[in-house]
Amino acid sequence: MAPSIIIVGAGPAGLAASIEAVRQGAKVTLVDEAQRPGGQIYRQGSPKLAECGVAEAGELRRKKRLLEAFDRVRERIDYRPGTSVYALFGPRELHIAAGDRTEVLGADAVVLANGVREVALPFPGWTTPGVMYAGGAQSLIKAQRTLPGRNVVVAGSGPLPIVVAAQILRAGGKVAAFAPLNKLSEGARHLAGLWHGRGIVLEGLRYLATVMKARVPRHTGHVPIRALGTERLEGVVLAKLDAAGSVVKGSEREIVCDALAVNYGFAANSELAAMAGARMRCEELIGGWLPEVDAFGRSSLPGIFVAGDVAGLRGALVAEAEGRIVGAAAASTPSFLTASGLGRSFRETIEERRRLGEFQNVVRAMLRPPRTLWSVADDGTTICRCENVTLADLRFAFSAGHLAANTIKRATRAGMGWCGGRTCLPMISALAELHAGATPTAMMTPRPLARPVALSALAGQTREGQ
Amino acid sequence: MIFLFEGEPVEAREGQSVAAALIAAGVRSWRIDEAGRHKGALCCIGYCFECRCRIDGEADQRACMTEAKAGMRVERQQGLC
Repeated sequence: MAPSIIIVGAGPAGLAASIEAVRQGAKVTLVDEAQRPGGQIYRQGSPKLAECGVAEAGELRRKKRLLEAFDRVRERIDYRPGTSVYALFGPRELHIAAGDRTEVLGADAVVLANGVREVALPFPGWTTPGVMYAGGAQSLIKAQRTLPGRNVVVAGSGPLPIVVAAQILRAGGKVAAFAPLNKLSEGARHLAGLWHGRGIVLEGLRYLATVMKARVPRHTGHVPIRALGTERLEGVVLAKLDAAGSVVKGSEREIVCDALAVNYGFAANSELAAMAGARMRCEELIGGWLPEVDAFGRSSLPGIFVAGDVAGLRGALVAEAEGRIVGAAAASTPSFLTASGLGRSFRETIEERRRLGEFQNVVRAMLRPPRTLWSVADDGTTICRCENVTLADLRFAFSAGHLAANTIKRATRAGMGWCGGRTCLPMISALAELHAGATPTAMMTPRPLARPVALSALAGQTREGQ
Repeated sequence: MIFLFEGEPVEAREGQSVAAALIAAGVRSWRIDEAGRHKGALCCIGYCFECRCRIDGEADQRACMTEAKAGMRVERQQGLC
């Protein structure tokens, strides 16, 4: 009988996994929160809004190719857009919510391909409306054809802020200032990575050219230290920090703006894997707590697979290659999962994933934020936005010996609000290290519900086969 | 297409989210949290829940995940509800 597979996430990894699993004859269910396939990188706006041309041609070609390949198998997939997964219990019991309904699904295999989320820097005033993630600003442009503001400051580490600054300009917006944390040449030291990722590097350089041509004031090494305004953002103060994390005298620049797009890294959406009981490891630069996986995306739990950035940030190209490998593995018998059992095209895909993975050394060098960066938060700065927990609250908990995520949560309520800690947990981990020398020893135990679900939806729950 | 924010008309395009239409109209805050602080959009893709507001009488609706519809009544949400 054909194996049943549930795939979570319809970005590059989840789409490639779905396509491959169908090709292998599996019965595939694809669950995704968005209304249309593509994930964040290939996010599609409503068809009622005109297509927007702010992305590089290469990216648009990759997007079109993957979405068309998905379209060809879509009829054979139980595709569930607008659907959240709010729990994953071992063995392979998936709880999903869509609108006012919840449902429990089971399958022979589950592929988690639910990506990463952004990490911000908690500087005083960062909760002011108008301060948003760089990727959030990008999704407004890509999917909503809406500029995040009339006059935008873009700040952060890694390649995303460059892309977002360029896309704001290409969409006709104004960038008041661009503040990359690291010198853009940092990545250039990794020659092998540059070579294997040369296509992407060229796209990155073209985005950079857009920013330079527009003569956007560039403040390399500056970070936001204060947002101005209460009801709405009115400006931001950028400054350089010294090695100890103190503001360098005279480096402050006050810039008038009505939106600030920030990104200081990514965190893996690994809660579902951890909730199911998968063995986890921590690697901060590529997403923090990650499920341990082998070359075929197998986690420590039978039948639970992981593909793409949620297994470690490596970008869309790696995610797509890996999705294909993991989709095939999830649809196969264990004998597939040996080198001799692999067809040639899979050995090539595995090699492609390795080559593309080298490029990540470039990205990692650009991402690396010094720990002292988190000194921009002062005692009054809100860290957990949902429960209004400040740095002072956290430091009080640290001084009482609460250094692990679970006990910090119990002591302060940080991480217990609507977002489930998605926003604050990576920052709390950095702050516990900065202020109390704590190293991450365990992930905060993810509890259901991984997404808020209305009681009325839980009351109307259906189970497969009932 | 027009919807109402706090009783005032806001122009939106077909297919645009409530959050995007509000931002385009120059509105940045559409919630006042339990600590009295103004809140608007943060992640814009549905997971941070910062952009909750009241839509057609129903509290805690995510402005970024709700498509704007003609005649919709969007209200600033305050405190716990």
